[in-house]
Amino acid sequence: MTATTIGAPRRSRRGRGMGLERRPGLLAYLLILAIFLGGAYPLWWSFIIGSSDKSALSSTWPPLLPGGQFWTNVAEVIDTVPFWLALGNSIIVSTVISVSVITFSTLAGYAFAKLRFRGREGLLVFVIATLAVPTQLGIIPLFMLMKQFGWTGTLGAVIVPTLVTAFGVFFMRQYLVDVIPDELIEAARVDGASMISTFWHVGVPAARPAMAILGLFTFMTAWTDYLWPLLVVPQNPTLQVALSQLQSAKYVDYSVVLAGAVLATLPLLILFVIAGKQLISGIMQGAVKG
Amino acid sequence: MKLSRHTKVAAAVAGAATIALLATACSSGGGEGSDEKITLTVTTFGTMGLDDLYEQYEADNPDITIEATNIDTGGNALTDWQTKQAAGAGLPDVQAVEEGWLSKVMQVSDSFTDLSEYGAEDTADQWVDWKVKQATDADGRIIGYGTDIGPEGLCYNGALFEAAGLPSDRESVAALFGGDDATWEKFLEVGNQYKAATGKAFYDQSGFVWNSMVNQLDEGYYTADGELNVEGNADLEARWALLAQGAADGLSANQTQWDWGKGQAFVDGSFATFVCPGWMLGVVKGQVEAGGGDATSGWDFADVFPGGAANWGGSFLTVPTTSKHPKEAAALAAYLTDAQSQVTAFQAAGAFPSNVEAQGDAGVTGESDLTAFFNDAPIGEILAARAEGVVAQYKGPDDSVIQEQVFGPSVQELDSGKADGPTAWNHAIDLLHELVSE
Amino acid sequence: MTSTLTPSAEPRPAASPTPPAQPDTGRSEFRRKLSRFDVKYSPYFYVAPFFILFGLVGLFPLVYTFVVSLNDWNLLTGPGDWVGFENFATELASPLFWNSLFNTFSIFLLSAVPQLVAAVVIAAVLDQNLRAKTFWRLSVILPYIVTPVAVTLIFSNVFGEQYGLVNNILTTLGLDPVMWKTETFPSHVAIATMVNWRWTGYNALILLAAMQAVPRDVHESAALDGAGAVRRFFAITIPSIRPTLVFVIITATIGGLQIFTEPKLFNAASSVPGGPQRQYQTTVLYLWDLAFNRQEFGRASAVAWMLFVIIVAFGLLNFWFSRRIASSEARVSKRRTRRRLEGYRAVPGAVPGSGAALPEPTDPADRLDPDPTAAPYDEEPRA
Repeated sequence: MTATTIGAPRRSRRGRGMGLERRPGLLAYLLILAIFLGGAYPLWWSFIIGSSDKSALSSTWPPLLPGGQFWTNVAEVIDTVPFWLALGNSIIVSTVISVSVITFSTLAGYAFAKLRFRGREGLLVFVIATLAVPTQLGIIPLFMLMKQFGWTGTLGAVIVPTLVTAFGVFFMRQYLVDVIPDELIEAARVDGASMISTFWHVGVPAARPAMAILGLFTFMTAWTDYLWPLLVVPQNPTLQVALSQLQSAKYVDYSVVLAGAVLATLPLLILFVIAGKQLISGIMQGAVKG
Repeated sequence: MKLSRHTKVAAAVAGAATIALLATACSSGGGEGSDEKITLTVTTFGTMGLDDLYEQYEADNPDITIEATNIDTGGNALTDWQTKQAAGAGLPDVQAVEEGWLSKVMQVSDSFTDLSEYGAEDTADQWVDWKVKQATDADGRIIGYGTDIGPEGLCYNGALFEAAGLPSDRESVAALFGGDDATWEKFLEVGNQYKAATGKAFYDQSGFVWNSMVNQLDEGYYTADGELNVEGNADLEARWALLAQGAADGLSANQTQWDWGKGQAFVDGSFATFVCPGWMLGVVKGQVEAGGGDATSGWDFADVFPGGAANWGGSFLTVPTTSKHPKEAAALAAYLTDAQSQVTAFQAAGAFPSNVEAQGDAGVTGESDLTAFFNDAPIGEILAARAEGVVAQYKGPDDSVIQEQVFGPSVQELDSGKADGPTAWNHAIDLLHELVSE
Repeated sequence: MTSTLTPSAEPRPAASPTPPAQPDTGRSEFRRKLSRFDVKYSPYFYVAPFFILFGLVGLFPLVYTFVVSLNDWNLLTGPGDWVGFENFATELASPLFWNSLFNTFSIFLLSAVPQLVAAVVIAAVLDQNLRAKTFWRLSVILPYIVTPVAVTLIFSNVFGEQYGLVNNILTTLGLDPVMWKTETFPSHVAIATMVNWRWTGYNALILLAAMQAVPRDVHESAALDGAGAVRRFFAITIPSIRPTLVFVIITATIGGLQIFTEPKLFNAASSVPGGPQRQYQTTVLYLWDLAFNRQEFGRASAVAWMLFVIIVAFGLLNFWFSRRIASSEARVSKRRTRRRLEGYRAVPGAVPGSGAALPEPTDPADRLDPDPTAAPYDEEPRA
């Protein structure tokens, strides 16, 4: 209400009724614009620096427009760190982890939400209790294990520790418990469908929106992880490790470092532009709840 | 509706993954090539001046490809090595090791190839003898080829000196600081003169000064027989008092070491002197260039060092036993450290040869890009003179920890004026107890 | 076999017609047994992969960390003597451990609190009937796709002490530059800024999703009752998004207490990880330093365990606390809302937070709108 009265409300066709669906005032737009600029400017700034030569940083005020050096700097990035290898590694790692987490979480979440079996309550309490367990803190024994298995330096060492998460199971359970009517499952059973076929034909379709969101969360978590890959695959880096290596190799030439930061952001930015709308509507479907 | 949307997202993700897989396949296919082609990985740090040598070696040995990684500081390189060493994977075929953490390496010296098997003993006399001694473990195995040593001279900015009314040519500057009898007291005295004339700081930060002060003692943080020797060490405390005095007088510019505002502090007159082991000359050049400066920025190199001869740093090239091609790796390490290569590295980065023959080579004593950058200073001759009287100080297992983590914070306290000398010293001692178990 | 069952992709709440039961004829005893076996044991097969894998990569490392913590264990040379709880005692007596905890909590509070407040406000703004709403929603989540490593590379430069963008601006405005990298509080603010920059928009979207699930007519009737936007926000919106708020808070807590990348790379050339005086050395960074710089695997494991206990305790406390506050608010507001609702009409089941399904506009109040078909969510996919 305050927003609508402070600013100049546009009179829209729908705006005359209750006031609730009136277009919000200028203030709301200014606020959201400021947030947008605050979010986008650092990226734009890195692109400007990353596309200039190293003297751009020396000026007190950064130039407003990008220079023409971006591809030169990118070439320097690719020359310094194995960028393509790192990008490929990151994509493989994040995809495998996401698929695994989605699969196992949906299976277990469905069982906890919709199936009756002995010990269900106890096991579920266990899952909830382990929600807060930061698996990251197991890095020391995991590190030793990976060494024992001879997996250090391979992508397996990055992938295996995060194949399942308690969060994923709980998340799917919370979603499915409301979304699938018990009648639907009973109907399928009466119809003679096996358990797995019921899961496949009733559970999975209903779970899809939540699977997408869980996949997104998991993908981003795996994509952004730095500590663990830094320890186990420094010579076979993921994108994050490669980026930090770039920083330590090119610390005198920060335009190259920032060009690398921009370059590393590009894949997700492209995906974001292509699939952003779906992503937003996925989140908006209310798949997230406590 | 919903289904198709999500399918699209999934397809996009899968598509991207496929592209990346192809890219990976291509790049690795190109890298490995045919069977006889060998890829050797090399990890170095700082500015070692080896880049041109890799290309040369690849040209001379068409079946060898070199993948080089360089890490900004010795400290970060140490962490990197330790992690990979502990993981038992990811170590390169040739690993550069700094003098300061050599003793850590010696704890696990059996995970390094004994280079004697590849002829290191026969060529041992080409290095200054203490360099070889440092690289020999308790069982007499030689695990590293010496690259450079770090005799220290004084970098100074002639233009700034002149503006402050001080002499600016090399000989007069050397004399100004006391020539062969240069002391840290004299250094601070000149600094105060400079400060009075310009109002600017004299040196970049106290950390490197402190390193130099410690390194030129006969015994540093450890006694010669390996005992920790910091607490109650009168020599160290006396020098600490001098350092604190300099910081209190505003002679330190309190710059962030290894950052220097991405080189800008080297060109905007923030400070006028800089302690320079040979290998640091390449760092200075790189920083000045990153800051937008060049040879006209005024940097010069004088044949003088406060407190007498000092050595800081110097490295070795080792071959970890995890290397799949130890023979080729040893050959590469030998090549990168032979007389001719050391001359090249010196010309590129100022890394002063540990190879006796190279030290006298015309390439070292003569002109190069680096001498041109430093106002045509005869860098090679100066460093050779500065190397006289250098002793190999014993570096204990925690030497690098003491240098960086025990005294690092206290040095910064001095620079930022948060603590006076005695307080900062006590903080260092507290940290010593905390960090270094005896 | 399941041909008669062609479930629609969309779950149809309550309304799915039961397909005619197939006569149970000709089933062999074997098949019935198989079916019973299927019903009885299938669930275990579904949950088993999770428990097995979690046991291997989650639980076992945690237990093994404890074992390591009882030993003098060197990174390079391996296990030494059994020392019992000495590592724990050493750490508890170590000022550096406490320093790291202080830094962790300080950075956590500086990031979590403003971030959540800002996220709620942004979500509330986005919850209004903005033009181009998808664009705005996308734009707030933009920083989320920039990874923490890239964020830190960018911001460590912006926050440079002598040549950084922020200090350049400050000095131009005639203010004193701030020592972002060497003083405790400024460095915490700088690191919290990086965290906030990346996460605020993301949390705002999650909260927005919850806000959108609040039935509009509850708002409308409250508005009719004379409640202003601010009042409605606190009385209806906040209590309704309680579960999501709890979710966001707990996620932020678990993540915030394990912050590593930002302090690690903020001043990468610093000889001490986390600032020259460990001004922003967080506990996970301290753990990493102990284990991989100082080779103290045993002590690092003790730190890991203590941090684990702290995170669990903090998580529980957090959960309990936000539950309590939120539920008492919710009770009050539910009562209030119900009273109001009763005043105007009787809509059963339109209680805040009851689900994502939108109630049909059967309300007389809706008829006040000249265009009743233009529902509030006409740009949104309908559930």
